[in-house]
Amino acid sequence: MEILRCEGVRKVYGSGSSQVTALDGIDLSVNRGEFVAILGASGSGKSTLLHILGSVDRPTAGRVLIDGTDLSRLNQTQAAIFRRRKVGLVYQFYNLIPTLTVRKNILLPLALDRKKPNPEYFEKIVSSLGISDKLEALPNQLSGGQQQRAAIARALLYRPALLLADEPTGNLDRKNSKEVIDMLQLSHRNLEQTVLLITHDEKAAMAAERIITLEDGRIIRDERRR
Amino acid sequence: MWKEYLSDYLKHNRFSALSVRIAAFISALLLSLLCSLFYNAWKYEVERIELEEGGWHSRILGELSEKDLETVQNFANVEDVRRIETGSQGAQPGADIYFSDKRAVFTDMPHIAEQLGISQERVVYHYELLALYLIRDSRDSAPRLLFPLFLLITLGASLSLIVMLYNSFTVSMNARIYQFGIFSSVGATPRQIRACLLQEAAVLCVGPLLAGTLLGIAGSAGLLHLTNSLPGSAVPGRHSAVFGYHPLILLLTALVTVLTVWISAWLPARRLSKLTPLEAIKNTEGWQLKRKGRSPLLSLLFGVEGELAGNGLKAQRKALRTASFSFLFSFLAFALMECVFSLSQISTRETYFERYQDAWDIMVTLKDTGADQFEEAALIRGLDGVESAIVYQKAAAKRILTEKEISEELKSSGGLGQAPAEDVARVDEGFLVNAPLVILDDDSFLAFCEQIGTAPQLEGAVILNQIRDVKNPDFRHPVFMPYLKIPDTGENRVSVLRQAGRKDAAAEIPVLSYTRETPVLREEYAKLDYYELVHFIPLSLWEKIKDRIGGAEADSYLCIRAGENVTLEELNVLEDKIASLIGAQYSIEQENRIQEYQTNNTQIQGMTALLGGFCVLLAIIGVGSLFSHTFGFVRQRRREFARYLSAGMTPKELGKMFCTEALVTAGRPILISLPIAAAAVGVMLKASYLEAAAFLKEAPLPAIFLFMLAIFASVALAYSLAWRQVRRIPLAQVLKDDTLL
Ligand SMILES: Nc1ncnc2c1ncn2[C@@H]1O[C@H](COP(=O)(O)OP(=O)(O)O)[C@@H](O)[C@H]1O
Ligand SMILES: [Mg+2]
Repeated sequence: MEILRCEGVRKVYGSGSSQVTALDGIDLSVNRGEFVAILGASGSGKSTLLHILGSVDRPTAGRVLIDGTDLSRLNQTQAAIFRRRKVGLVYQFYNLIPTLTVRKNILLPLALDRKKPNPEYFEKIVSSLGISDKLEALPNQLSGGQQQRAAIARALLYRPALLLADEPTGNLDRKNSKEVIDMLQLSHRNLEQTVLLITHDEKAAMAAERIITLEDGRIIRDERRR
Repeated sequence: MWKEYLSDYLKHNRFSALSVRIAAFISALLLSLLCSLFYNAWKYEVERIELEEGGWHSRILGELSEKDLETVQNFANVEDVRRIETGSQGAQPGADIYFSDKRAVFTDMPHIAEQLGISQERVVYHYELLALYLIRDSRDSAPRLLFPLFLLITLGASLSLIVMLYNSFTVSMNARIYQFGIFSSVGATPRQIRACLLQEAAVLCVGPLLAGTLLGIAGSAGLLHLTNSLPGSAVPGRHSAVFGYHPLILLLTALVTVLTVWISAWLPARRLSKLTPLEAIKNTEGWQLKRKGRSPLLSLLFGVEGELAGNGLKAQRKALRTASFSFLFSFLAFALMECVFSLSQISTRETYFERYQDAWDIMVTLKDTGADQFEEAALIRGLDGVESAIVYQKAAAKRILTEKEISEELKSSGGLGQAPAEDVARVDEGFLVNAPLVILDDDSFLAFCEQIGTAPQLEGAVILNQIRDVKNPDFRHPVFMPYLKIPDTGENRVSVLRQAGRKDAAAEIPVLSYTRETPVLREEYAKLDYYELVHFIPLSLWEKIKDRIGGAEADSYLCIRAGENVTLEELNVLEDKIASLIGAQYSIEQENRIQEYQTNNTQIQGMTALLGGFCVLLAIIGVGSLFSHTFGFVRQRRREFARYLSAGMTPKELGKMFCTEALVTAGRPILISLPIAAAAVGVMLKASYLEAAAFLKEAPLPAIFLFMLAIFASVALAYSLAWRQVRRIPLAQVLKDDTLL
């Protein structure tokens, strides 16, 4: 079943001579439960695509449908609620609020909806991500890998339609990188989570079942493995 | 959730929170002070009016019977009716009416008048008092300024406080812009973010607002006490203000402060909440310097540190604007005010006290008494310590001057034709000029004749034959010329005086002499109307002509000299003696030169203190916003300085850079305002024809210097406190923080 659909998505930054076309006609379809990696060199438009899919940014032209919602029709408030409930975003930096404990950071999207978490599901996620004993710590008391796993936990908590991760390992060493990728894989397998992993690292991309390669804002290859 | 976020945030960011708190405290202090002072000004006005004119709301003029009064009293809304006491002079018969609901006065009074069967013209309203209760009527055309003035001042204060608060809130909020980016990216709506920021503002400000409000009330009580105890305020007839407060004013204060704080918090909160997560996350350093302009002067003076300080200041320019402006304005206002007052002090001393120093020691005003009615001149002269005493009265008269009579000098400098029409009227025969009479008692007139070298006699007038050269605007050093050609034949030496506005009421009096000297009196001649032709006449002559020309002023004066080197005590003793001698028969008012001089000085000092206090308040806004800014900035500066340190700058060099910044922050407003103040003083000196040297000798330089020092000290304090915060941070920690951002 199709959960994500892009039709002719274009994104142009700036105007006049300094115009940059970051995305140039992206057509894409992702089914529920897929683990897709988007691979590309720096500057190829990966982050731009992710921001558009996460309703953080808007395309210059084209349409994006996620779980039946047309993102271009959302206003700012609706987009925020959409992000809260339908997508989980994990960035390279900027993930955790430094003054809130890890637990509160993870519960943030639920708290915004004034909802209580399902304790079992919460337990399952934090234990499978291996941060059960770090819940009361502050983010800067955690290693980079642990912080990133807490961010993944937060992204998964609402059972989003789509987990979007933008170079989540870009700032980590080899061991931590592998752990984070493993976690993504685990959530994909155990929770049947749809995952879109953005990376410039071919090795990391190997974890996915489908690899889409971007170059200069265009899809140049779309291959299924296995 | 937000509650937890807030309390966590506040725990970890005492300093940026402190800046907001200080700003909120200052705002509440100022607004509370303002409201409380306004209330007391209002209360004072009400008391003064009730004291001077009575607290009636409406008044029926004319005779009223007891039955009429009863009818009025029986009106539901009428609280009290009282007959006007007609014992005192000038009081007309009638009744004062007091309403229980003042608001209904304009609708009820016509009914009452109708019931009594009297015309509406006999009804008067106490507009001045009613206006203080915001009860206005279209028939009252007088401007009632207390409320508009208060509104204007409060609005101005609120606006400037909003600028200051807005800055602190912006600094505090922008410091966490990336956190709100995270919130937004996990799905916080703009409204939720706004709510969070406003809640935070509320939590931060409650305490300071309460404290500031209370302190403001206390401050206004203190200020009132101070004004009452100022020696200059002990003017006879002024009732002293008693501090009071009203719950409504507390409500008003709360409303104004909360509104001020809310607007200041809402503006940056709205801007922040509208950022998309992308903008928020990319915009972690809102204070980045847009690379332009250098600071050649600073780098020349202080080297690299100077250059960096210049860049730092440029990056903070917007945030420092309030501080800069309030420093600039407060310093400028203070310097100018000090100069204006010391100028006016010098000026009154030169034009008044010094000029008339030998003319009088005690002036007695004989109320409603003609000089001819006063018979105790000899008694006064006989008093111990009285050197001379002149009884005189003034009267207004007119005289026609023909072209022939006018001096050549006056003709060649334009003649009477150029005079303003209200001073000199053109008539068929020539010009009708004012000829004020100064009526001296006979003894003094004879003495005056001797003084000017004329045979002493009582049968005519002495004319003050001089006029100012209007072409010379220097009023401090006027140039005079003769007014009239002095006729040589005795026949022509007459003056025809007439009553203003009437041709037939005239008297012809001989002229004894034309002189350029004046009798020694505390009088100024031809001050407003340069073209008046002053006549001095003896009292006995006046008695003969007064019925024909009239025009005498109601009061007479007794000008007493007590000799050189007289002291204040001696004058006070003399005043007492005079009072006991003539105080019973005449209604008198006494002035005493030394006392007046001292009162004048203390009044100026009081004004200076009051306005100086206002400037200090202005400076406090500057200091407050500077404190709030430097504290709020600690976070950003920490990173900035960590970068410098990691690039190999020593802490000492860093300190130097910080000092340079402080120096520029405090110095620039002063450097800008000093030449402006100097130029303004130059203009004023020119306009008042004072000599620069005389001013410089008494220029209020110490006070200005002190104010300057206070600005420098507070800036130094703000920077040194911030510096301690900046310096304490371990380098590694800051650099790690840096990546986290
Ligand atoms: N806000 C922006 N303004 C202008 N150009 C941008 C902006 N964001 C990205 N770009 C440009 O768009 C292109 C794609 O950027 P991005 O999507 O971040 O690439 P990637 O994540 O693959 O490294 C780049 O050439 C980049 O310079
Ligand atoms: Mg990228």
